[in-house]
Formats: sequence, structure tokens, C-alpha cells
Amino acid sequence: MEIKQRLMKIVGPERVADGAAEKHVYSYDMTENPSLPPSLVVMPQTLEEVQQIVQAANTTKTPLIPFVTGQSVGGLTIPAVEGAVIVDLKRMNRIIEVDEEAMYVLVEPGVTFGHLKKYLDDHHPTLRYTYPLAPPYTSVLANALLEGLCDLSTRHGAMADFINGLEAVLPTGEVVRVGTGASGEGNWFSRYPLPDLVGLFAGWQGMTGIVTKMALQLWPKMPFNRHVGLLCFGEEPTIRMLTRIARTQVLDDSVCVSTPLVKMVSGVAAPVELYDGEPDYGMLLTVSGNTETEVSEKINVIRRIVNEERETDSRHVLISWEGLMKLMGDQWGPFVDLPSEMYKVLAEHDGLTWVGTYIHPKYWKTVLEEGRAIVEKYGFELIANLKAMKGMHFGEFKFIFRFPKDDDTVKRVRECNAELLDLALSYGAIPYKTPVWAAKKLQERLDPNFVMLMRRVQRALDPNGIMNPGRWGLDERD
Amino acid sequence: MKETDSMVNSEPGAHIEEWLHSCIRCGTCKYQFLEYEASCPSGEHFGFETYFASGRIWLARGLQTNQIQWDDSLLQSIFACTTCGACEVQCHAPHRGHIIDIIEDLRRIAVENVGALEAHEKFRNYVEEYHNPYKAEHHSRELVQEHNLPETAENVLFVGCTSNYRETQIRDATISVLKKAGVDFTIVDEFCCGSPLLRTGQNKSVNELMQHNADAIRSSGAKQVITSCAGCFRTLSKDYSELGLKLDVEFIHSSEMFRDLIRAGNLRVISSASDLNITYHDPCHLGRHMGVYEIPREVLSQLPVSVIEMKKNRDNAWCCGAGGGAKSAYEEMAISTGKARVQQAMETGAQKIVSACPFCTRNLRDAAGSDEIDVIDLAELVDELTVGRKPLSQSP
Ligand SMILES: Cc1cc2nc3c(=O)[nH]c(=O)nc-3n(C[C@H](O)[C@H](O)[C@H](O)COP(=O)(O)OP(=O)(O)OC[C@H]3O[C@@H](n4cnc5c(N)ncnc54)[C@H](O)[C@@H]3O)c2cc1C
Ligand code: SF4
Ligand code: SF4
Repeated sequence: MEIKQRLMKIVGPERVADGAAEKHVYSYDMTENPSLPPSLVVMPQTLEEVQQIVQAANTTKTPLIPFVTGQSVGGLTIPAVEGAVIVDLKRMNRIIEVDEEAMYVLVEPGVTFGHLKKYLDDHHPTLRYTYPLAPPYTSVLANALLEGLCDLSTRHGAMADFINGLEAVLPTGEVVRVGTGASGEGNWFSRYPLPDLVGLFAGWQGMTGIVTKMALQLWPKMPFNRHVGLLCFGEEPTIRMLTRIARTQVLDDSVCVSTPLVKMVSGVAAPVELYDGEPDYGMLLTVSGNTETEVSEKINVIRRIVNEERETDSRHVLISWEGLMKLMGDQWGPFVDLPSEMYKVLAEHDGLTWVGTYIHPKYWKTVLEEGRAIVEKYGFELIANLKAMKGMHFGEFKFIFRFPKDDDTVKRVRECNAELLDLALSYGAIPYKTPVWAAKKLQERLDPNFVMLMRRVQRALDPNGIMNPGRWGLDERD
Repeated sequence: MKETDSMVNSEPGAHIEEWLHSCIRCGTCKYQFLEYEASCPSGEHFGFETYFASGRIWLARGLQTNQIQWDDSLLQSIFACTTCGACEVQCHAPHRGHIIDIIEDLRRIAVENVGALEAHEKFRNYVEEYHNPYKAEHHSRELVQEHNLPETAENVLFVGCTSNYRETQIRDATISVLKKAGVDFTIVDEFCCGSPLLRTGQNKSVNELMQHNADAIRSSGAKQVITSCAGCFRTLSKDYSELGLKLDVEFIHSSEMFRDLIRAGNLRVISSASDLNITYHDPCHLGRHMGVYEIPREVLSQLPVSVIEMKKNRDNAWCCGAGGGAKSAYEEMAISTGKARVQQAMETGAQKIVSACPFCTRNLRDAAGSDEIDVIDLAELVDELTVGRKPLSQSP
């Protein structure tokens, strides 16, 4: 029996599609990465259906690509090989459990940030999750698997650090649970002190199985929150201030962007430029506390650092929340309550891309300076995006491109991204959500034994090589 | 045909070309923003990315740039959309106000390249032959005799095909209200306004229909055209002018007329207190397409009924499921969408769903089946709960 017939038998004919429309629409994403059509798309609704799909794919040796909303900004759901089946998981969208005491939520892959935020606000108002700058309807589970970053990452780190455990269908069809949830229902409080098998799935871009449930840490919603803005001049002082402030551990979140992005959010029309005399960077810093005094004291900590820096360059300026609203416009109010409309500045065209990396703090400034020169050389809008991660153990670094996907621009974007990646890699940065071309460049710099270990793990889990084959550039069989 | 009527019919593909490089497939159009309430009836029914606005926009781009070739299998995603416009409300990208334009453009090109869907072609043939999509005996002028209407008048009641040939109670109620309020009106020899054709990419014969209707309206000497059909209202007031028709009349939806007649005292509301709970369904063509949300509510607020809003209302209203050719070609989607709306209405505890479009009324009633809720049109409710200017005892 052909794979299509098998899948139709499992989920019903109405949840299998292989028309020209599906083949086209699932063949690419918003990035510059080249498209490749899948052979068909299947939409399971239950764990049992996912399991049967994986079993069927093993029989026919059909590649499977997990998909939720296809917004990784890394081309990660674009098939890397011919004949792939997209497994669209959007209908598995239950929030299964919120444990108020151990503060976690158990979700299926189709649950989006918008969905979760609304649910928590309505039913568990004292708890919060953490939200990206992404559109509200992207997968919470996929985001954590991809080790992305959200608005508590300055405090708690990359999103995979929020995972307490998960349930997955292995590439060979068995259902497994990792983390304390492996000991029974309602017990997903941690991934330790067991061997940390979350790592078999996080960061793998869907190559090691289909995750069907994930337990994620929630945090108490602090009664007092405040944002302040910081406008700064020059890469070196900017990075120095961000690093110093983050190391004090007063921050929940820090977003540092080139001024053109600040202007975009304030409504300046594309293409947005940086003029002489304008600050180079704008930061939005978020603090929270149990009392107003705690919050004020945290702000004082920030202010002290800024004042010290102002002794060298008095142009740096710390702006209160109220001042920020006056300067930037009232829309900033709802914008900073993520997920929000804020992402829309990145939805100007059909193209959006970046090479996102995590980097050692000591190289942050240099890579920013040199990256800026590359972006300016190519004539793109200057949209650097930086976040201090996990109390400043490391930094996030990327340049964002919003662009019309005409052939010429796509070509320029590819060249510019490649140059930026080479730069970042030369400073030991590690890209996240790597498209295949970037993964291949990364592999050249990694210890060959690390790559060997990845291959060995992947082959042990997926002997038929059916799960998202070609990702991470691990396609060559040697 | 008047010399002043320039028949502009924008080139198919113009909207697609204008917005070729928009839509990153951010998915915001799938849900009511930040509420996580489903917003796209077609996406909700079929689930695949191809059935949301973004899928259609990406298809349009793929076809326009020759990345894909025409193929029958594309038609389902292109046509299984109610053109409800909910995506336009949720989208935050620059093309947000033009998604329906893009989808309708795509439909026109689809019809040119592959032909119309069978169900759509069928009603186009009926429109051409019978001047209505229902293959009903054309009879507008008989209403003039039946109701003893003048040849010329200040107002034209444009009945619309669904009212005239299917939901005749809406037509009769509208006529009754206008008569008892003493409105100077007539009915002209109207042809289908062309809405079903425009919504399904079959634009070719629309100019002829428009011209016939324009001539008929002109010869009535009317200054104002009233219609109780939301689809006709959109087509007469928006599409006709976009197609280049210059007609010196004002088009209004009957709800506006009702409101003004009650306000002016030409219609008096039966004062007896009523314990009728109703909920109002915003027709997509009246609400999102034309921005009329409050006028029908103002009418309802003047009647002795309690209005309980559904959770999804005004620009976030869930579509009835029938529009954009879905009722004829995708009955299952139309009914499942309608059922979801009926369910939302029942959650309010209302006894009746009141709409302001015969097409919505029809589909919601089909969807409600044996459910414990009635579906009626605003015109019927107004007719039931008002009398003319004369004191009650003297009214006929
Ligand atoms: C404008 C914009 C801004 C963004 N900002 C941020 C940001 O600030 N921070 C951030 O972290 N991210 C950001 N993102 C990315 C986005 O939040 C994540 O990509 C998203 O959460 C992943 O969800 P998705 O639905 O897009 O996953 P998909 O793209 O559908 O899948 C991503 C990858 O995960 C795999 N996968 C998906 N589901 C499963 C599963 N169940 N089991 C195994 N593998 C699976 C897929 O195969 C693929 O490799 C942004 C995106 C956009 C468009
Ligand atoms: S139509 Fe608008 S909201 Fe929908 S995916 Fe495209 S850009 Fe996003
Ligand atoms: S018009 Fe309505 S049915 Fe069509 S894509 Fe938009 S929201 Fe969906």
C-alpha cells in the first residue's frame, strides 16, 4: 500500500492533502532558504494517530517533517529531501494540565503563545509563561524544542531550559516520556535528577521523534513590573552597559536593538534609516518585584550604572516608562505586553530572516561592530537584536532582515547572511534554528567527534532515517 | 447605457501584483487577535495552511510568478472561502485591507485558466437566463402591481434575489414596514446585482447586470435605493462604484431606513413589554465589508426586546458560512460554519437569532435544523413589533 493510502486509513481522507496547493504552500517559508515541495501533508489529532503515522512511514521509509506553524525563521519545515510527508500538528492543541503548586503546564504541539497566555490569564492569573517577539500564534512546544529566547530569557536562559519533561513518539514508533513525568501522570515537576534525556529532543529540529506533549515551567506573575528605556551611543558602551546591568541580576528581560527598529515600532515607514546624531541602540529593560520598593530599587541599580557611564558620554540616556511613552507613542504600552502586535514591524514584506546566534560575552561587542559594517555594506536596514541571556552567562546576537522576496533581494540576503554567519562562527558563536546551509558551515568548525556523536545518536534513534532527514546537515551516510 | 458610465473592470491580477511581496504567513489571521478564538471559517473547517488567508495569498504569488502551474487541485483552496473578511480584521501587515481583493483576483484568474466551479457556473447560467441565481421565474415588476406601487418614487426597494425567490418573508416584511411607515417607494425591474458572480471570479457578465439595474433605478427617478440584502448592499454601493458606475443615488441598507423611520415617528414601536431575548448576527457583507455594525443594533435597541451579544460580535463576528459561493459549492463547510454560529447564539440563551441579510438567515436556519432557536431577519422583527404613524386603534 502506498503511504497516502496508509495515512488516509489512519486519520481519514479529509486530513490528508496532496494537491498542488498544499505542495506549494508547505514547500517554503518566509526565509530565503530554497523551497522543496513535500509529497503530501497529514494532520493527526491524537498520540495514537502520530504513532501509527510514524510506524507507517517506517514501513515505506518515508521522510516525516513535524510542522506546527512553520515560523522558525530558519527554513526548518522546508523539506530537505524529496518525497517528504509534512506532519501538521496544529490540531493537537490541548493545554492538558496546569499544576499550580509545581508551577508547570503540560501542552500539546499545537498550543500557541496566544492560546497559552489567554488560558493562563483566564484560569491561572497568578502564573505566567514567557513570550517571544514572534506573532502570537506560533508553537510554544516547538519554540522550546528550538532553544529560542523569550521575555524571561535574560533571567532564565534559552527556552529549552524551561522544559521539565516531554512525551515523544520515537522514529521507530515507541512512545516515551522523559523527565519526572516518566514516573506517572501529574508529576512533571522536573527533568532532574534523572539522566537528562530532554537533550535527545531539544535542539534536534524534529530529527529524533515527534514530541506530543511537553511540560514547561511557569513562573509567579510578579505584582509589580516596570520597563525602562536606555538610548545609547556606540557598540562598546552599549555592550558594556548591557553586560554590567545584566550581571547585577535585577533584570527579567533585556532587548537591545538598533535604533531603526525602535523607529519602526514607533511607526516610521520603511525603509528606516539611522541618521547622524541619533543614538545607535535602544534598550528595553524589564524588572519586576513583590513590592514597588523592590522594583524601584532595581531601577536604581540600573540608573547607577548608566550614571557612571554618562560620566564618559553624557548622551546615553535612561528613560522612564512614562517618558518612553511620550517619546515613542502610546502604542508602546500594549506592545511590550507580549505576545503583542510588536512583531508586525517584521511583517512588512513576505521575506523575513536572520542568523540567530548565542555568543560568549567577550566577543559580543566585536561581532556587533563588524556585523554592522557587513549589513551597511549590503545596504539593508540596520536591525541588530541582542539579549543578555541567563544572567549574562552568554549573549544573543543577530541581524534581522525584512525583505521582499524578489530574486535580486533574495540573492543579496543570502550573501549577507552567509557573511554574517562566517563572522559569528569566527568568534565562536553558535547559531540556533540553523538552516541546512548554516548547519553545514557550523559543522566545519565543530569538533568532528561532536558531529560523530550527533550522527550516532540520530542513527540509534532513527535507523531508517525517516525523521526530518537532512536537517543539521547530517544527511551524508558514511 | 449612459455615456457617463465608464465600465472599468480592473485587470485580473492587479491586486495580486500590488501585494505580491506581502504576507510572511505569520498566522495572525487564523485567530481573533489575542483571544485565541478561531476566526477563519475555511481554515477552521479544513485545517491545512492552504485554507487560511495566507495559503491563498501564497498561492496567488506562486501562480503570478509562475512558480506553480494551474491545476484543478488548486481550485478547492481558492474557492472554499466565504470571503467573510475576518482575516482582514486580524492581519497586521500592510496588505490587511486587501486580502479579499487578492482572493477575488485569484478567483478571476482561476476562472480564466481552469474555469469556474460547476456549482458556480450553474448559477451564472441561471443569472444570465433568468436574471437570478435560483432559476426562478423573473417577476420583480409583478410586485409593483401586487402592492400597488408607483412607477416613479423617491426610493427604490432593491429586493435582491434571495429575498425575492427564497426568503420571501423578508421581502414581504420589508415592503410591509415601508408601506406602513408611508415611505414613497417602488420596486424596479431588478436583475441579480451580480454579487454571486463577483464573489466567485465570474466577473464577465456583471457589467451588463449593473447597467440594467442602473437604467432601471434611473428611470424610477429615485434618490435613494434601499435593500435588505447585505450582499446586494455591498455590491450596489461598493462594487458598482469600483466598476466605474456613476449613479446619482444613495444606497442604504434597510436597517438604516428602519432606524430613521422609528426615530422620526413614522414607525411606532408596539409598547407592550416583551420578554423576548434575541441575539444579533453581524452579516459579513454588512459588517466587515461595509462597516455597518451599530445601525442594526440601534434599531434593536428601539424595539421591546433584550439583546444579548454573542461573544464574537461586530468585526470579530463568526461568519454564517454561506458567502463567497460556499453555500453552493461547499455545503458541508457552510453548514458546519453555520452550526458553530448557532451554537454561539445558543450560549447566550437567546430565543432568536436576528440577522440583517437573507443569505445569512437562510444558512443559519439550515444549520440550526431542529435546534431550539429561531432565525429571523431584522425586517421581520421590525414588522412584527411596529405599527404605522396612526394610533394603534386606527391602524389597518
Ligand atoms: C516575526 C517573528 C519573530 C520571532 N521572534 C522570536 C523570538 O523572539 N524568540 C524565539 O525564540 N523565536 C522567535 N520566532 C520564532 C518562533 O517563535 C518559533 O519558531 C516558533 O515558536 C516555533 O514554532 P513554529 O510553530 O514556528 O514551529 P515550526 O516552524 O512548525 O517547527 C519548527 C521546528 O521544530 C520541529 N518541530 C515542530 N514541532 C515538533 C514536534 N512536535 N516534535 C518534534 N519536532 C517538532 C519542526 O520539524 C521544525 O524543525 C519568531 C518568529 C517570527 C516569525
Ligand atoms: S494574511 Fe496577514 S495575518 Fe495572515 S499570515 Fe499573512 S501577514 Fe499574517
Ligand atoms: S475571507 Fe474568511 S474564510 Fe476566507 S480566508 Fe479570510 S477569514 Fe478565511
